[in-house]
Amino acid sequence: MIESHLPAVSTYAKDIDSLILLIGVLVGFWFFVCQGMFFWLMFKFRAREGHRTTYVTGEEKELARWVHIPHYLVLVCDLFIIVGAVRVWYDVKQNLPEPDATVRVIGQQWAWTFVQPGPDGQLDTPDDIRTVDNLHIEVGKTYHYKLESKDVLHNFSVPVFRLKQDAVPGRVITGWFEATRTGEFDIQCAEICGIGHGIMKGRIKIQSPEEHSAWMAQNSTPAIATASAE
Amino acid sequence: MIRSRLWSTGAVALAVASLWFASTARVVDAQDAASASPSAKADVAHGKELFDLCSYCHGPDGLGKPELGAPQIAGMPEWYLLNQLKSFRSGIRGMHPDDEAALRMRPMALTLDRPGDVESVAAYVSSLPKRKSEGSLPNGNAAQGQAFFATCMACHGAKAEGNQALNAPPLTHLGDWYIAAQLQKFRAGIRGASPTDTNGMLMRPMALSLPSEQAVLDVAAYIGSLAE
Repeated sequence: MIESHLPAVSTYAKDIDSLILLIGVLVGFWFFVCQGMFFWLMFKFRAREGHRTTYVTGEEKELARWVHIPHYLVLVCDLFIIVGAVRVWYDVKQNLPEPDATVRVIGQQWAWTFVQPGPDGQLDTPDDIRTVDNLHIEVGKTYHYKLESKDVLHNFSVPVFRLKQDAVPGRVITGWFEATRTGEFDIQCAEICGIGHGIMKGRIKIQSPEEHSAWMAQNSTPAIATASAE
Repeated sequence: MIRSRLWSTGAVALAVASLWFASTARVVDAQDAASASPSAKADVAHGKELFDLCSYCHGPDGLGKPELGAPQIAGMPEWYLLNQLKSFRSGIRGMHPDDEAALRMRPMALTLDRPGDVESVAAYVSSLPKRKSEGSLPNGNAAQGQAFFATCMACHGAKAEGNQALNAPPLTHLGDWYIAAQLQKFRAGIRGASPTDTNGMLMRPMALSLPSEQAVLDVAAYIGSLAE
């Protein structure tokens, strides 16, 4: 359902969509039940000639039931949401699968810089490939990201991955993703970071193994790879 | 009665939607035109409106904020401002991972995406009065720097007044801290190393001809002292 508006392109995107859908359906159900109940009561107890208003304290058992029963039912729904949320949280944030590669993601006002290992497969070596605004990754590979900020709070957000992670100055935050199909999608900052926050954008380019190898070969010199500008 | 109200509400909604589509179409046309016409007409009043965004870093009078790495741009020649804005927009500047100030500037330049935006803001900034800034390099020796400046004179002029024919900007009011920072970037290859940056490629060997980091500070202090 959500995927029809925004593609789900990571291994955990559909789990997050399902959780949001579950919350939406349960909360939506109770919202409409409550609203229906209010309007029905307003109609049933509307002002009429010859009827005096009754003062209801809600202490009588048969009246208190109107509060207690929905309350317990909502708690049961909460249990479903909590179980679903904890499972998704564990898979996305607590679990850290073995990586095929690691990229460094650096936020600053108002650009993203990415550092990828070169042919030696090791980060922080002379053959690293650095790019601004464009992150090139390979489909089907598990990536760890090391997220940093040079100045203020940022948030590394890839909507098609359903990924959002705060970047905090002075900290290196590790997370992971695995893309499920090729394509080019948005990267954005999802934490207010100054006057240019709204235009702090990048692109993630998910490539087939052949395309990615060709890109690596083209850029694996010490020279800096920079994306085309406009 | 209800039916006629529904019809009128529908008609209003349709009119609003049409206006929205029409305005969107104008934006798209404008963007296409922006890329098609390189020399759109400058409108100083429009430039003043656009400058509001620039003022957060460059200050309300364009006098710069060294703490943000934003130089004084007030009173710089229009041709230079145009060149720089276009360089930022095309990625010639502002795409090096180590050039933090330029990385901040590039998205700002990209917001000038309608025909005449770049020209208008350049015209407005150029019309602002410049001001001599205080020296900010206590370790820079202007007297020593005068000797090193001989190399710069060929393009930037004897008093660093600039030379449009050589795309060499006036340097005196940019701020000595900014001159030093740019020289260090040219020396480190952060600027002037990309084949697309033809002006920068000319500047880089000049910056590398300075024998030391102290010479960079000295020549920057000297250039700053030339401001009137």
